[in-house]
Amino acid sequence: VKPARRWLVAAGLVLAAVAPFAGSPFAAERGRINVPELARQVEHEQDHVTALQLAQWIRARRPRLRILDVRDPVEYDSLHIPGATLVTLDSLADQDLRPDETIVLYSAGGAHAAQAWVFLRALGFHNVYFLRGGIYEWVDEVLLPTLPVDPTAAERQAFSRASELSRYFGGLPRTGVPRAERARSLAQLRRRGC
Amino acid sequence: MSAPLPLFSHLSEGASLAVALGIGVAFGAALERAGLGSAKKLVGQFYLTDLTVLKVMFSAIVTAMLGLFWLGRLGIVDLAQVYVPQTYVAPQAMGGAIFGIGFVLAGLCPGTSCVAAATGRGDGAMTVAGMFSGILITGLIFAPIAHFAGSTALGVRTLPQALHLSYGLTVALLAGSALVAFRLADAVERAHRGTGSS
Repeated sequence: VKPARRWLVAAGLVLAAVAPFAGSPFAAERGRINVPELARQVEHEQDHVTALQLAQWIRARRPRLRILDVRDPVEYDSLHIPGATLVTLDSLADQDLRPDETIVLYSAGGAHAAQAWVFLRALGFHNVYFLRGGIYEWVDEVLLPTLPVDPTAAERQAFSRASELSRYFGGLPRTGVPRAERARSLAQLRRRGC
Repeated sequence: MSAPLPLFSHLSEGASLAVALGIGVAFGAALERAGLGSAKKLVGQFYLTDLTVLKVMFSAIVTAMLGLFWLGRLGIVDLAQVYVPQTYVAPQAMGGAIFGIGFVLAGLCPGTSCVAAATGRGDGAMTVAGMFSGILITGLIFAPIAHFAGSTALGVRTLPQALHLSYGLTVALLAGSALVAFRLADAVERAHRGTGSS
């Protein structure tokens, strides 16, 4: 074997020997998505929490609960969920989050929070949830719960639970609200954007 | 169309075809220089007297693998842009068998047949003609075999995925197995020359 070829072989061997310790050759591999697993969680509604559930977690001082607000600073200043941290979507990957934290995301409607949910799941965080109705769900369900004029037993029970939580967060539970008004407010909630 | 190098991503289609032509000619020249334009040399592979094909092709694979791995690791090549063909077990096994029969009969594979034709060898030109008529006939009668061609699909599968190993470890193992294969090839060639079977 000629000396030049010997050098080429040696260079190849060194490159091959170091390869296992060089990490991944894929440039943009900040996260990996397990598509079937994520789809299953969305299908089984394991991807989000209701505003009432979140309110209970906050009141019960659930350990390692992290609430992230992905709206803009103006919206955050006007109203935010107690304990929430303001983060921008593009800085989400650089946040100092720990795997054992329960992370709850919310945006104005639900779209940005749902997208942030996908990003965090791709980055390997497992206990991630988002508010499907966004901050509006928090306002309508936690801050301003209503009881219709002619309530059923189940509605009355739900209202008493919600109004107790509501008062804890300084909300204004209202009784005797006409059903038409309640329906309108729920419809508005669903129509709002992200 | 263009290679996954950022250098080439701004090229027009014509320019990237010109780059592809340049790379192809260089590959053909390397094959010819290794003697692989000659069917006499290639059939030695099947009589176990001359395993040059194995050595050249395995060296090419290891070289390309090391190059892509390290260029990707250094951020020069975006490996996510490299097209990985999908795996269809049954149709590809059958295609491989047909390929092998053709290789033994002609003594040339697709790449080496082009090299042989380019250097003016008649058998090379006939093999290229046969290859293209085979492609044409398959295209014309594709409808009845379309179901088979799409069967036993596994999607995009790479060795690191299939072996559940890291990319780098797979690279090292393949390079190591190339060394073993070269040693075995040398031993086989010596044994068959020794018995005078060539």
